[in-house]
Amino acid sequence: MSKLALSSLHEALRKSFKSLGDNQRVWRSVLAECGPPMASLGNLAEQSRALANVQISNTPLRDFPDLADRLRFKLALATDAALGQLNDKMSSLQSVRDAVGNQVSAVLQLYEQNADGLDVAAVTERSAATPSVADMLEWLQDAERHYRRQYLRRKTLLQTLRADNLSLLESAPKRWKSLDCPSAEDCITDTLCKVSFLMESQ
Amino acid sequence: MTSLRLLSVDPSDRGSQRCRLGPGLMSELGLSLGSPLLVSVPGGSCLCTAWPRSDLAEGFLQMDLKSSSPGLISQPPTHLHLAPGHLTPLPCPKLKGVKITVVVQSFDFKKHTPSRLVHELVKDMLKGVHVHEKHVVNLEDFDTEIRYVVIESINPDSASAGFITSKTGVEIAGIQTVRHYRSGLQDQNTVSLGGLEEVSASLREMLQLPLLYPGTLSSLGVSCPRGVLLVGPPGVGKTLLVRRVVGEVGASLVVVRGPEVVGSRPGESEEALRAVFQRARSAAEEGPCVLFLDELDSLCPRRTGSSTPENRLVAQLLTLMDGMNRSDRFLIVGATNRPDSLDPALRRPGRFDREVVIGAPTLQQRKAILSVLCARLPVCPTVDMAELAQRTSGYVGADLSALCREAAMSAIRENSKGSGEQAVRMKHFQEALKLVRPSCLRSSLGRTELSPVSWERIGGLDEVKLKLRQSIEWPMRFPEAFVRLGLSRPRGVLLYGPPGCAKTTLVRAAATSSHSAFLSVSGADLYSPYVGDSEKALAQLFRQARACAPCVLFLDEIDSLIGSRSSSQTPNGVHTRLLSVLLNEMDGVGLKTLERRGTEKILQPEGAEESHTQEQLDCQEVCNKDVMVVAATNRPDCLDSALLRPGRLDHLIYVPPPDQQARLAILKVCTHSMPVDADVCLEDLATKTTLYSGADLENLCKEAALLALQEENMEASVIKHTYFLQKLCLSTCLSPRTAPNAAYIRPAHRMLRRETPSSSLRQQVFENNNNNKNGWIFPNAEKEKGADPSDRLHGFCCSRSHLCCLLLSIY
Repeated sequence: MSKLALSSLHEALRKSFKSLGDNQRVWRSVLAECGPPMASLGNLAEQSRALANVQISNTPLRDFPDLADRLRFKLALATDAALGQLNDKMSSLQSVRDAVGNQVSAVLQLYEQNADGLDVAAVTERSAATPSVADMLEWLQDAERHYRRQYLRRKTLLQTLRADNLSLLESAPKRWKSLDCPSAEDCITDTLCKVSFLMESQ
Repeated sequence: MTSLRLLSVDPSDRGSQRCRLGPGLMSELGLSLGSPLLVSVPGGSCLCTAWPRSDLAEGFLQMDLKSSSPGLISQPPTHLHLAPGHLTPLPCPKLKGVKITVVVQSFDFKKHTPSRLVHELVKDMLKGVHVHEKHVVNLEDFDTEIRYVVIESINPDSASAGFITSKTGVEIAGIQTVRHYRSGLQDQNTVSLGGLEEVSASLREMLQLPLLYPGTLSSLGVSCPRGVLLVGPPGVGKTLLVRRVVGEVGASLVVVRGPEVVGSRPGESEEALRAVFQRARSAAEEGPCVLFLDELDSLCPRRTGSSTPENRLVAQLLTLMDGMNRSDRFLIVGATNRPDSLDPALRRPGRFDREVVIGAPTLQQRKAILSVLCARLPVCPTVDMAELAQRTSGYVGADLSALCREAAMSAIRENSKGSGEQAVRMKHFQEALKLVRPSCLRSSLGRTELSPVSWERIGGLDEVKLKLRQSIEWPMRFPEAFVRLGLSRPRGVLLYGPPGCAKTTLVRAAATSSHSAFLSVSGADLYSPYVGDSEKALAQLFRQARACAPCVLFLDEIDSLIGSRSSSQTPNGVHTRLLSVLLNEMDGVGLKTLERRGTEKILQPEGAEESHTQEQLDCQEVCNKDVMVVAATNRPDCLDSALLRPGRLDHLIYVPPPDQQARLAILKVCTHSMPVDADVCLEDLATKTTLYSGADLENLCKEAALLALQEENMEASVIKHTYFLQKLCLSTCLSPRTAPNAAYIRPAHRMLRRETPSSSLRQQVFENNNNNKNGWIFPNAEKEKGADPSDRLHGFCCSRSHLCCLLLSIY
């Protein structure tokens, strides 16, 4: 009974780790794609700042009618476009998060269904090739938490940007970069390495 | 079962809500991976999910405080040992809905973020979390502006805990800032306050009035007071009062301590001050707020000179206080113990509208404070708080709490010796009273440690003792009798008489028997090379004495301390100025406002239903609110007549040289430690030593002992009667230095004035006095020269009425 439950659990775990590996690649590539629109957002903020600082009537450009307003409109459009791109990227990040989340909750549910048959000793049993079920569940949960946290932070950053607060916009690329958490990413990579024997053993 | 050691949480587990246990314990408790578990620790509880430790070790516990009681947020548990009984598995059904309060980092975020976004973010953050009712979910690991979520209620409410899924409805009841939330948490554990009811009521009114009746106030066109200055000596509880009232009202508190805002760079301090006001303003938008400026005198000293940096800081504070407009709904409370060193511009309506003086606690207030302090101590029921309050005159709240602590400590020390019972008794308080002295007297110049003397140690002088008791002890012990007869405690007592007749010892005995505070001052304390310093010192002495009334102020050798206006060569000398200070302090117009203590008590007429002890306390408070001056001199003629009038030194008590009985008693005391031969007859000596003062008798004994050593070549073992007699012949009685000088005629003269109507006689005495600047002499002193000196002496050593008779017989 417990053997059967364990093997089905291993099967589910294998599937989850495989999907985690795929999702990790997707996450990385999406994040890389976010770089250019983010940089352009910062750039646009700088331009807006410059426009706010300059007195057009004191420059040779004073003959052009409504120049300041037109420029502001153009910049706003461009900012909107950049934010739109970022929003698209965010939705792909969200799909990654949801995929990982669903996988993890599915595995946990499977464990909970079989929890009566599996005692603590069985789930904490490790061998050279296979980590214990508890460890693997923990790693999956950690990865899921990491993606959830990352997504929430990035989303908060984007959602709290306001057109009237230029300094927030200007600092956005920097803050976006500082949200990167290479150590946690490495952890996930480590995890995938640790379970590689299990993945190959099928 | 073994106990579990609580370790701090692993960094990688932060925010996971895991509780790491040994696998053995997990199976013992019937837990599987991720089962919810309620851990009770001192100060609260914490809801976690069980997980085996990665090293599978037993005996340790690491838990992430994702969902815990509010108390654990500020003080996370550390270094604890838990029994496995503290862990209880808790079923967590999936929740339908949850009602929460969101706590965010900054007020800015709260203002600018749409509630839809907050809802969305919080819902995402809470997904997959096990929550418990009234717990706080810590979301700091997400590193966003949203810090905590307080679970107000859960649906279904049949369970106390539950699991939040993506289908759980989240309802946000309110958004608070962290500061506001934390200040609310702190208020839950405030201590109660005794004896400051009136002041706290007025503070509370000022805080609540604009909140409760905003419409009424604006329709009346009244702007509520927005500044209060609390003034009082250190340790009366100014800071505590503010914290307490703020906690009761539920306001948030912004505290500024003077040195915190002062920076080294120019302009830095002003900037810090502006930031503080901004902070208060933003806190006021969430609810009532108090900006508390502690130790205001260090922040805003009196402006001097032209460009000291403090001046700019003071100016900044003034403009900030003026710049508060009506919409700024926060109250500024300043506290200081040196109001005179504040800049005067601060103390006007519009800035600090009200000044509340908190004086040293009165008897009733001390009683209230003590009962509050002792409420948490296991005090033996025999301890009488009223008596303790009486014994602690001059103690402020801080002193009283130190007193209670010391008493409890001595009780603990005694218990550790093994007598068992856990109770603080009166004797513990008495021990503590020896250790803890009133702090307002700590820097006082008149404070003296005196060795206690009982009345019994002084032989004879029964009349004098009775009078001293009347003036010092009776008002303390029988206040209701005094009030009944409309008596008041005397303002002052003058003891006069020849040197060596136990004047100082009498005062010591009086101080011992009455439990009032006792200050003694000498010329060394008062005189200073700087002009005006001595007067200031004397005035300060009186101020301190009044702060710890009832108090006895003892001026020994007052004739040399305080001058007389009539006799001194320099009319504007320091003596005269001191005299004027003394006259003013003893019987001046009134007190400074700063010295106000409690509210003015008026005795209620009979019929009011008060218990006897309460009445007695009331009487005592009314009776004993003044300082009593006790002066001693052997030259009463040198005193200014203004000082001797009733109302200042009411009682003039003559301390005569000892009579025969007294001499015998004194001789017994003096020879107590000497090996006296059996043939020594002290009675005989006493009869032979007429007019000897106490000091003379002591000297006689010493001389006799020395003579014995001299005669018997250092081998004397007993003192024989002959030595006493020899010495008696050698020392002419009452050595010339104590020969009655004309000093004692002065009081006699005063009495004469009262008792004989003859103005011609008075005139004669006056003229004689004018002829002889050195003192008062008899009109017919020349005639007396031939008379037997012992006769003359006799007259002076009798009571005053005898002296009168003598004087009358001379004429």
